[in-house]
Amino acid sequence: MRILLIFLFVFGISHASDATIEVIKKVESLPSIAVEDSSISYDNTFKESFFKTIVADLNVLSLFNVDRHHRKTHFNDASVMVENKDADYVLRYKMYQDDSGALNVDLKLIHKEKNVLIKQYKISKKNVFMFVAHTIAYDINEYMQAPPVEWMKRRVIFSRTVAPQKTEIVISDYTLAYQHTVIKGGFNIFPKWANKNQDAFYYTSLDAKKPTLKHVNIRTGQSKSIISSDGMMVCSDVSKDSKRLLLTMAPDGQPDVYIYDVASAKSKKLTNYAGIDVNGQFLNDDTIVFVSGRLGYPNIFSKKIEGNSVEQMVYYGKSNSACSAHGDYIVYKSRESSNAFSANTFNLHLISTKTDFIRRLTATGINEFPKFSVDGDAVLFIKNYKSQSSIGIIRLHHNKNYLFPLKHGRLQAMDW
Amino acid sequence: MVILNQGYTSMKKIIISSVAMALLVFSGCADKEPVVDERVQQEVVAQEVESVRTEVVSGEDSSIGENSMYGSDSSEMNMANLEKELSTVYFDFDKFNIRSDMQDKVTNNSTVAKGTASSYTIKLEGNCDEWGSDEYNFALGLKRASSVKKALVSEGVSETRITMVSYGESNPVCTEKTRECWAQNRRVDFKLLP
Repeated sequence: MRILLIFLFVFGISHASDATIEVIKKVESLPSIAVEDSSISYDNTFKESFFKTIVADLNVLSLFNVDRHHRKTHFNDASVMVENKDADYVLRYKMYQDDSGALNVDLKLIHKEKNVLIKQYKISKKNVFMFVAHTIAYDINEYMQAPPVEWMKRRVIFSRTVAPQKTEIVISDYTLAYQHTVIKGGFNIFPKWANKNQDAFYYTSLDAKKPTLKHVNIRTGQSKSIISSDGMMVCSDVSKDSKRLLLTMAPDGQPDVYIYDVASAKSKKLTNYAGIDVNGQFLNDDTIVFVSGRLGYPNIFSKKIEGNSVEQMVYYGKSNSACSAHGDYIVYKSRESSNAFSANTFNLHLISTKTDFIRRLTATGINEFPKFSVDGDAVLFIKNYKSQSSIGIIRLHHNKNYLFPLKHGRLQAMDW
Repeated sequence: MVILNQGYTSMKKIIISSVAMALLVFSGCADKEPVVDERVQQEVVAQEVESVRTEVVSGEDSSIGENSMYGSDSSEMNMANLEKELSTVYFDFDKFNIRSDMQDKVTNNSTVAKGTASSYTIKLEGNCDEWGSDEYNFALGLKRASSVKKALVSEGVSETRITMVSYGESNPVCTEKTRECWAQNRRVDFKLLP
């Protein structure tokens, strides 16, 4: 037994930074945190919403065991509430409305009877309060010196099917609490952020005679057509510098991966297989991964942008039909059964291009559309389970999954 | 609702934790930008509100097809009647080859395409069942349309008259979770364009 423990310890240390290795025992050692509400303005419903959002965000940080009791106290009380005496950390906040109607939040983080973090936040409209909550969580994460959670403040863009051939494109926060429909009416799918700043996006319009890729500038509201193709048109990935796109087009009914140069508006075909080649993703500046049916079933392959040889990346799973890449890691969707007559299960798996490990990230339902966060810290995905569509988030280094259900419609695609 | 899912396989636990209120926010176009003290925050929120203005793009985007696609009323009616004569072709699970029992339908459709519908463009719409909304599923729908196109061409329909599109799983005719229903969704529809 002792030898086994030593082995596990050594193994754990040597693989500490490999995301394909699971962290299982960490939960017990997490510090506890309680949240105290000292708000003076606003009704109880709003106070409750804000409290719940804060608690949800703290949970997603995966750094604390979060106390879910909504307790109220005075902001300037010197000591924490009796019930929270044993908590390692106490987060106390006060929401109040100022003369201009803006939402103000004063915040302190108390640790061992000392205020270790004091901050103030202000936002002119209270209905976007969730972004304040996300920012608070971001700041606490930073104070705890945990790896940055930049993605928490980023926005998600997704398309949802509301009726046959009717979709909406929506911008939301990562919890779907804030939702703003940017494109209503028509048949528009596969939205994709056009740059890091998230001030423009691409999407496919199926309303014209041919599937057309469109570009929308959020700041100006300007929309323009980029390129059309018979059969199929999807913007699968945007390069880090936003200058190149990986598209799936099918000018002759033959779906292939193309690279498109934004400045010159020129595209070049990267794959040549006579079956299905789709879902190109930049692995780095000169290599892409993509989904191909060249083995008789969909699987993940890689190839150099300049070059012809194709390499199989995944050796597990009978049907691997979607992927996302970040650094050395690839997350892919795999069908666990191939039965036309029963409920199928699709799970997400994580592999490293440097090792042979495979880590299964989900366990039930249809899990698809994996998408790495910009920093590779988390994976966002779509889960469809028993007619409920949700956005899921996987904290890779904490081995935790969180789901945020969509109230209506079915998620078609999303980007982060 | 937030579902916390920690551990996996036998370690799996699902704890239903707090409910994050989904607040639908549809802010008016003329609203002022919210101002946030923190610099980081300002970026996020300022952009968020600017996005409100893009609402205007939706109307323009959604109506492009209809004006350009259809001409006079009589031509539209004629087209609609002819479309009824073109039958849908169904496919097997995960397959895009034309089944032997569908061969007659394809032959019949190509006769209509070469005859009474000869002045129209034929649009083949490939569709899939609900198993996946990813690109591969869209490509499968397209390969189905492509198989039908090849069959039509081999029956003498001019290639230049045929366009294709894949709607993936986003255009179901049946939304129940039964095998009959999924089978109805794995199909290629025939539409006519002037």
